[in-house]
Amino acid sequence: MANPVEEAVVRKSVRVQAGIERAFSVFVEQMESWWPATHHIGKTPFEAIFVEPRIGGRWYERDVEGKLTDWGTVLKWEPPHRVTFSWHVGPGHDQPDWVCDPDIAKASEVEIRFTAEGPGATLVELEHSKLERHGEGYEQLRAIFDGPGAWITILELYAKAAAGAQA
Amino acid sequence: MSRPAVSQHLRVLKDAGLVTDIKDGTRRLYQLDPAGVARLRVHFDQMWNQAMSAFKTAAEKPPIGEKHGKPSGRSRRT
Repeated sequence: MANPVEEAVVRKSVRVQAGIERAFSVFVEQMESWWPATHHIGKTPFEAIFVEPRIGGRWYERDVEGKLTDWGTVLKWEPPHRVTFSWHVGPGHDQPDWVCDPDIAKASEVEIRFTAEGPGATLVELEHSKLERHGEGYEQLRAIFDGPGAWITILELYAKAAAGAQA
Repeated sequence: MSRPAVSQHLRVLKDAGLVTDIKDGTRRLYQLDPAGVARLRVHFDQMWNQAMSAFKTAAEKPPIGEKHGKPSGRSRRT
């Protein structure tokens, strides 16, 4: 569906010099080998990231102290072509750290599609959608209204969106 | 500004993820999106840029004695 304005969706694609089976396996089985160390829940770095290989499986991290924290749930499991997760990690309502909200209605979705482009090449496309579902941080609303220049930022974003809509 | 024009502008804001709307009888109430979806989008955009680039590097490394299961610890941390 074509939408001329910015959606609450992030899309990425990358071509990897690896077969589709390996690309899929590195993504779901070796996530801690590549996931940016700067992105984890709470204050403690993660040690391992797990994906249970089935629909309904958990996606979670284990931190260096052994604590397990859910990131999401497997919604679609079609190895090596597609995996879809719910993503429950959003901004906390009253704290700066990102937190896991188990409510599925407040979770966004991450879908990753793998397409073979020959024996040793795979196109990997990622779509992180429904980001608006994380929109429950009412403390942040106050910050938007009260912060210096807050409305300027909003209006700039609006101007950009409106210009895009007319293009 | 005419009413239809206002509606159209609000629609643009909604599509951009900057406001949310609630239907209240025949009225439609709009409010600024509480968490600033546009900001969330920027955050996730940067996160996935980093993640996908690191994923590409990992996937292209020659596989060395891989086995199922998890390492007991990460040998290297950045």
